[in-house]
Amino acid sequence: MHEGDEMIERVAMTLRRETAALSPDFDARVMQRVREEARVMGGIGVWRWMTRPRTIRVSPLAGLALAAGLAGVVAIGARGNDTETAAVPAVSPVAATSASPSAEQMMKFVFVNPSASSVAIVGDFNDWEEGGSPLRRMEKGVWTITIPLAPGRYHYTFVVDGTKWVADPMAPRTLEDDFGRPNSVITVGDATT
Amino acid sequence: MTDRSPAAAPDAALVRRVLDGDVEAYAVLVTRYRSRYVRFATHMLGSVEDAEEALQDAFVRAYRSLARCEDPERFGSWLFRILVNRCRTAGARRGRRERTIVHDEIALRDAAEDHPEESVAWREEIGRALERLPLEQREAFLLKHVEDLSYEEMSAATGVGVSALKMRVKRACDRLRDQLREVYSA
Repeated sequence: MHEGDEMIERVAMTLRRETAALSPDFDARVMQRVREEARVMGGIGVWRWMTRPRTIRVSPLAGLALAAGLAGVVAIGARGNDTETAAVPAVSPVAATSASPSAEQMMKFVFVNPSASSVAIVGDFNDWEEGGSPLRRMEKGVWTITIPLAPGRYHYTFVVDGTKWVADPMAPRTLEDDFGRPNSVITVGDATT
Repeated sequence: MTDRSPAAAPDAALVRRVLDGDVEAYAVLVTRYRSRYVRFATHMLGSVEDAEEALQDAFVRAYRSLARCEDPERFGSWLFRILVNRCRTAGARRGRRERTIVHDEIALRDAAEDHPEESVAWREEIGRALERLPLEQREAFLLKHVEDLSYEEMSAATGVGVSALKMRVKRACDRLRDQLREVYSA
């Protein structure tokens, strides 16, 4: 075996042998949060979620509109830098400004869909809350929202009409979320991870 | 005789019970998977404390979305995918924040007691080398070489293509070799 391979195998073996001891009350803390979730969801919330009619109003027109939809995000300045620059056409969601590395940056998300009744955004930055953060409708079916984000990498997606999850078509890459749906990724600042 | 205790129930049966409103059945799943997955989270995030937080989040999110678990028999794999995502998010947020050494005292103690031939210096160097890997390479290396997943399983867990994963593993191994050569030869 090549010495380098032996080294990697020894590294792996060392790591495999390690055991991390969880806090004795770990299970209790998890279950406390789970019970709170169950209470908030009404006891049978999980089941109710599953049986709730969430998909999908299949309308050829809506489908076309979605297919034609555009979206994107642009950094429009660091927080504390009072003025937002003029609206800029959607660009790559990998964005950076000249702000200091740790400063929050004002990120403008843009989504174009003239036929949508509502558009929201959900992502790591709002903890994927159901309903998300609503975008404001501008002229000609353009929806926007500006969110301050610290440097880092965030997953997000748009929610159209409260039911349809749509990845940002302007994003350079998408990953599946926890549940197999497409996500978009935005990197704010010089996040190297 | 068949063991009919909840602890012996298959994942799918437990998931069904939870969906039917038996919240406490979820505790069996927590007990079943927490120890299995904490090692990966600890190596990814560099401390048991952060790993606990990510693991706790993963369990809660899995509960919240349990109805979307399309194959309850494979609840563990589904949960692991959520955990991988939580670790990515937590790791990215930490950014350049000062981190603790991956191999915290508890882990070190356990390993040292079982395998005294492995020096503390060696384990600390591994911890530092792992920390220096980009998050995506660290993830790929751990899934392949420590968690022993196939590339297909890794792809399912990460949503990343097999070719990209192979490249990440290779680069991670190259970097680890470079960084650990000196202490390995000592």
